Amino acid sequence: MRIGGSQHPNDIVIRDMWWKHPKLIPRSAPVILLILTVGAATGFAGVSHLVSRFNANQQSRGRKLYALGLEEAKAGRYDDAIAAFRAALSCDPANSQYQLSLARALRDSNDPRRLDEAESYLIALWQRTPQDAAVNLALARVAAHRGSIENATRYYHNAMYGVWNSEPDANRNRSRIELIQFLLKENARAQADSELMALAAALPPDPNQHLQAAQLFEQSKDYASALNQYEDVLRLDPENAAALGGAGESAYHSANYVVAQRYLRTAVSANPANAENLKLLDSAEEVMRANPFHSHISDAERNRRIITAFNQAEVRLTQCAQQTGVDLKAANNSASPLPALQARWSSARPDLDLLHSPAETDLPDALMDVVFQIERQTNAICGSPKGLDLALLLISEKREAASQ
Amino acid sequence: MSNAVPTVSASASPTPTVARVRTKPRLFSTLEGVFNEEVFFLILSVFIGIFSGLAVVCFRLAIDWMHLALLGPLPETHSWRLFVVPALAGIVVAVLVLHVFPGIRGSGVNQTKSALYIFNGFIPFRTAVGKFICAGIAIGSGQSLGPEDPSLQIGASIASALGRQLEISREKLRLMAPVGAAAGLAAAFNAPISAVLFVIEEVIGRWSAGILGSVVLSAVSSVVIVRSLLGSEPLFRIPVTTFKRPSELLAYAVLGIVGGLASVAFAKSIGYLRPRLKALPRWTQYFQPALAGLLVGLIGFLGFPQVMGAGYGSMDDAMHGQYAWKVLAILAVLKIVATTVSFVSGTPGGMFAPTLFIGAMLGGAIGDIERIFFPQLTGSTGTYVLVGMGVLFAGFLRVPMTSVFMVLEVSGNYEIIVPVIVANAFSYLVSRSLQSVPIFDMLTRQDGLILPSLEEEREEAILRVEDAMLPVPAAILNSQDYVDANARRVQDSRDSIFLVRMHPTGWNVISREQLQRLFREGKGELTLGSVLPSPSLPSLYPDLPLDSALRYVNDYPLVPVVNRADARRLEGVVSRESVFKKYGSRSTVEVPSAT
Repeated sequence: MRIGGSQHPNDIVIRDMWWKHPKLIPRSAPVILLILTVGAATGFAGVSHLVSRFNANQQSRGRKLYALGLEEAKAGRYDDAIAAFRAALSCDPANSQYQLSLARALRDSNDPRRLDEAESYLIALWQRTPQDAAVNLALARVAAHRGSIENATRYYHNAMYGVWNSEPDANRNRSRIELIQFLLKENARAQADSELMALAAALPPDPNQHLQAAQLFEQSKDYASALNQYEDVLRLDPENAAALGGAGESAYHSANYVVAQRYLRTAVSANPANAENLKLLDSAEEVMRANPFHSHISDAERNRRIITAFNQAEVRLTQCAQQTGVDLKAANNSASPLPALQARWSSARPDLDLLHSPAETDLPDALMDVVFQIERQTNAICGSPKGLDLALLLISEKREAASQ
Repeated sequence: MSNAVPTVSASASPTPTVARVRTKPRLFSTLEGVFNEEVFFLILSVFIGIFSGLAVVCFRLAIDWMHLALLGPLPETHSWRLFVVPALAGIVVAVLVLHVFPGIRGSGVNQTKSALYIFNGFIPFRTAVGKFICAGIAIGSGQSLGPEDPSLQIGASIASALGRQLEISREKLRLMAPVGAAAGLAAAFNAPISAVLFVIEEVIGRWSAGILGSVVLSAVSSVVIVRSLLGSEPLFRIPVTTFKRPSELLAYAVLGIVGGLASVAFAKSIGYLRPRLKALPRWTQYFQPALAGLLVGLIGFLGFPQVMGAGYGSMDDAMHGQYAWKVLAILAVLKIVATTVSFVSGTPGGMFAPTLFIGAMLGGAIGDIERIFFPQLTGSTGTYVLVGMGVLFAGFLRVPMTSVFMVLEVSGNYEIIVPVIVANAFSYLVSRSLQSVPIFDMLTRQDGLILPSLEEEREEAILRVEDAMLPVPAAILNSQDYVDANARRVQDSRDSIFLVRMHPTGWNVISREQLQRLFREGKGELTLGSVLPSPSLPSLYPDLPLDSALRYVNDYPLVPVVNRADARRLEGVVSRESVFKKYGSRSTVEVPSAT
């Protein structure tokens, strides 16, 4: 074979250059190709070695910068953390851990413009390892920052069912709890409730996790489920003060004042400084003392409570009228409902004397109905009551809930 | 081949051949029969790609290493390093360029093109070494230049050296430079399609099917090498890009117009400053890169270190909305200033990355401003940044096809193809109307060279056979008719030359004198076909370039122009006079001025 055509006689450049370059390569195509192959393989091996050494140095430098970034992020200095993570990534661009940390720092820096960048890092990671729970969790948090319920729920679910490197069950529960907190924050109550049910069913016998679940149920205003969770905590840790207080509070909000009184008493005796528990306990005891419909009281005691409640209602009505400047003796066509309530109270007042009559079986309900109306209206007009008025209002709400 | 050129042919020297054949392994003997120069050149293209890829990997490592060593892993604004390092590196580069590696100034694209068209493919290997070292120092120290164009020249230089060592033919050696250039650029950009298109649009300057296969092979093999060594991470993390409403194309058109204006400003500033700095006394050339470095360092020191170096990281940041529109606009302007001074100072380095940088920042700024006035626009900042990159590429480098494919290849996203095409078209048109000579042509003309340009070729109307075609003659003779019948037929004609339709196909020609002589010689009873010479006339097609008629019109008084679908259907004829008349009527092409 002949490689090369005829040379142009005036081709000075080419002719001149030949003497400058030694002819090292034999003039045979297969031999040339063999030499080129060997040269390419050797070159590849040499450059590979160079690249490996360079990468090793870079990775070492990257690790130091990454550690610095983690420290900065831990201290809440996100701008510095981002700069360090970026530098770490410039040393080791393919390192997914650095990318994830940078994305987290970008997300947590509270700069809305950085969310896009965080998301793009995470999306790139997600495309590589869609099953990675940590990446999905980070993406879920970005979506949560954006307030996107659909995306956040999707990524949180991916995180729950994804692959965790350690403590998979605990991490899954933590992810679900985070999702529930997000849904509650976004007022997506129905979705939060279904997640809470799933959470409660999968909880291990860990008082802390039950306590967290109970608090979430409480946030979701599902006080009955919250009480169940608090009681689970107390079964595992009977001295748990938070659970005692929480159980009392949940029972109180469920209008289960007997149970509330029991838990709150224990909680207050364990921690007398807790003003909230003390307040709830007082209120629960007041309800217990004032409730004329309690099943284990005598007729005389019931009548006494009705009379007390009836009189207290008038006091509350008068105070509210003074507070709002309404004349209770005004005609019924007044804009305020208070004079009408006063009229109703006055017309019912003579019935108090008939309470002792065994024939008037409906009278207690009728009298208490006047009391409850007064307490509800004054609550709406003059704000939340205290003491006995509060107890009467709570009894009213409990009666109303029971009748529905 | 001349005697000065030894061949690898066994037949060139019979005696040693016999001895060699006996001793050669059988595999080699078999393989020798398989190769011809074309096949060998294609295989060689793969090796050029491999070696160029390896060189570019080393070049990128060198730049990264220089950057780390000189500026540190995390350059901070107001750091003294930013201020001092580019200037000191500039002095080192100037000394190397002036004393050790002369001829490595600039980007390298023009030098590669010159090698193809002027120096028969010759690029000294020293150029590759010099470019590697000097561009590595310059870019690593923060000069506002990119590594792509030097990579292109390194690839071309490696290819040229390899071709010379193998003593391939001059024709092939000339083609080695673009093949290596494509490999170098593809490796630097990690984008083989754009590299191939750029080499065709800018280096070769014309479409050439003969070299396309080699260019593609070398580009692909170099990218494979780079990806296998450095990984396949893309240059940028591409954000979510959106294009929903066709009416938004207006917004992209505005971006194209602004990009075109910025391209012209960029090109004109280089065109104005470069010859003036070159004309300064030689001793000033020691300080020009240093002064450029000082200015670039000052920009970095004062709070905009993003303009230093190639700037890919900052482009990535812009793509993800890290900068407000004011910062983006400032960065675009500062990058034009920084790149202009870096480039005109003679510092070796490329303009690809700075062009992308300016386009990215400009695109982001325009997109953000447009969204302030028209909040209903759905394109994200990242989308405008990507489109902006292509806009500057089309307007400044004047490579419209490469610009479109480059954006698509870099982004891997075909959703934005329409905005990219629209914006690039506007940018290209604005740039062309305000700056007649593309930047690379302007630079070569400033250096006293005139090289072919695809843009000019596109401008130039091609003369075709149909332009010089005469109408079908009234008298056409038939080869199956008798000579006397044909002679009677032409009696009243004023023509002296007649076309003869041959049977079953083909055409021939006969003069009135020849016909009359045959008749006088008593051959009137013979068919005309039997007395005419057997080789028929060559025929032409109307759409062929007029150059192709030149091969025949000297030998034949008339050349038939026939239909492509039916060779017996005559469309017209061309003669020597009609062809030369057409050429004569064409005005000469003016050579545009350098600026």
